[in-house]
Amino acid sequence: MSESSGPLPLRVATVADDADRAALERIARDELGALDDLYERYKTMAYSIAYRITNDAALAEDVVQEAFLGVWRNASRYVEGRGSVKTWLLSIVHHRAIDAVRRRRATVDLPERDDAPPPALRLPDLWGEVAANLDADEVRAALASLSDVQREALELAYFGGLTQTEIAERTGTPLGTVKSRMRLGLLAMREMLSP
Amino acid sequence: MTDQRPPGDLPGGEPGGLTCDEVRDLAASFVLGALTDSEMDAVREHLADCPETHDEFAELGAVVPALDAAVPLMEPPSGLRDRILAVAAADLDARRQVDASSAAPAPPVAAARTVAPRAAEPVGPSDVEPVAGPTPAAEPISIESARRRRPLTWLAGIAAVLAIVLLGAWNLSLQGQLNAAQTYQQQVASVLSAASQPGALTAVLAPPSGQGPNGIAAVTSDGKMRIAMRDLAPTTGDEVYEAWMILPNTPPAPVGGLTVGSDGSGFIEAGGVPAQPGLVLALTREPRPGMTAPSGDPVSVGTTTSTENSTG
Repeated sequence: MSESSGPLPLRVATVADDADRAALERIARDELGALDDLYERYKTMAYSIAYRITNDAALAEDVVQEAFLGVWRNASRYVEGRGSVKTWLLSIVHHRAIDAVRRRRATVDLPERDDAPPPALRLPDLWGEVAANLDADEVRAALASLSDVQREALELAYFGGLTQTEIAERTGTPLGTVKSRMRLGLLAMREMLSP
Repeated sequence: MTDQRPPGDLPGGEPGGLTCDEVRDLAASFVLGALTDSEMDAVREHLADCPETHDEFAELGAVVPALDAAVPLMEPPSGLRDRILAVAAADLDARRQVDASSAAPAPPVAAARTVAPRAAEPVGPSDVEPVAGPTPAAEPISIESARRRRPLTWLAGIAAVLAIVLLGAWNLSLQGQLNAAQTYQQQVASVLSAASQPGALTAVLAPPSGQGPNGIAAVTSDGKMRIAMRDLAPTTGDEVYEAWMILPNTPPAPVGGLTVGSDGSGFIEAGGVPAQPGLVLALTREPRPGMTAPSGDPVSVGTTTSTENSTG
């Protein structure tokens, strides 16, 4: 297991980043066509993430709609130094989707959170840039190489929207073990995906 | 701030009420979002105030966005784009209407900030922006393709026109106007959501003559119907507006009712409506709920048509 390392290297800006920023500036000027542009670029990723989390086509549509409308209404709040527009947009999708499934479960200790970002995503998304150019097959292979229980813990947390306590309850596993599985799973993936 | 707190010791001066060891223990759950809101807040508070860098958060968090790359790709339904653009158009019209109604000039839209990226930034919530997150796998992007402008389809047009007409007709206070606009916008969005489903039918409801209530309806293939109406006169007492479905050679059948407040908008959601093109939907004003036959002429009428032949 890697015990190393420090932050992974950041990717360089791409032509797509520039185009995305230009689109966002146009959205901030209320240009509907720019929203259309952004949607065309990221509709597949956005919908795929939303569907993966909600497992409900109608709910996934609602999530994607809310996310793009969030961008439409808050384009001026984007901060370039925090990462790419794509990162920003897809983080909103993830956040909305997690909120949607948590509301669906009616978890008692999860109140409405308005437009607050997803808990895991409130940290600087410079982290996220490392993943931007990863190949999907690479990531799937890395996930597949984890132990079943590590992969299960990561997926229940990130795609299932479960808290560590809920994961422990669902899997019948001590909380400390759940924490350990998530940490070791992330570190193992980091080692496999590092350049 | 690195000492482990003895068991049972209540949170004291530690940032967020957590020791550094406790925060490290929560790092993986934090970056995955697997904590309750209160736990998340406590960790955030600790990170904001703790002099230690807590590199474990960056170390673990760097991997999290990669998980998105493992998601199987799926294309969204084609109608979703129209729905989003329609609601955005309605939102823009609502804002412009409010701006126009306001004596004070609208605040300028802030331009996107251009802060130079920083490669090494302290991990912590103190300067976290409202949204920041993971980066899924890169996907091929054709800039030129993405820049193509497409005309709004009929669906977007209907919603935009309805919103414009609605907003123009309202004469409410600024806040009331905004609230009403948002309400109607949500109702239209809900109808468009149903209209975008495969096999759905839509109908534009309009008064038989002259001015009056109008709106939009959608009937999905599984028989669910949504109607969003505007410009309805408020109901009083036991009065209701009743929606009727009328099949050929069949008496009108009630499908749902609503009462209307001062904003003039109304929304009906009902089931058991056949997804049959040519179905007539009518709205009447009735003296009380539960009527089995219309007591008067319809105030608004529309006929369902297939969306699949109309979308562009």
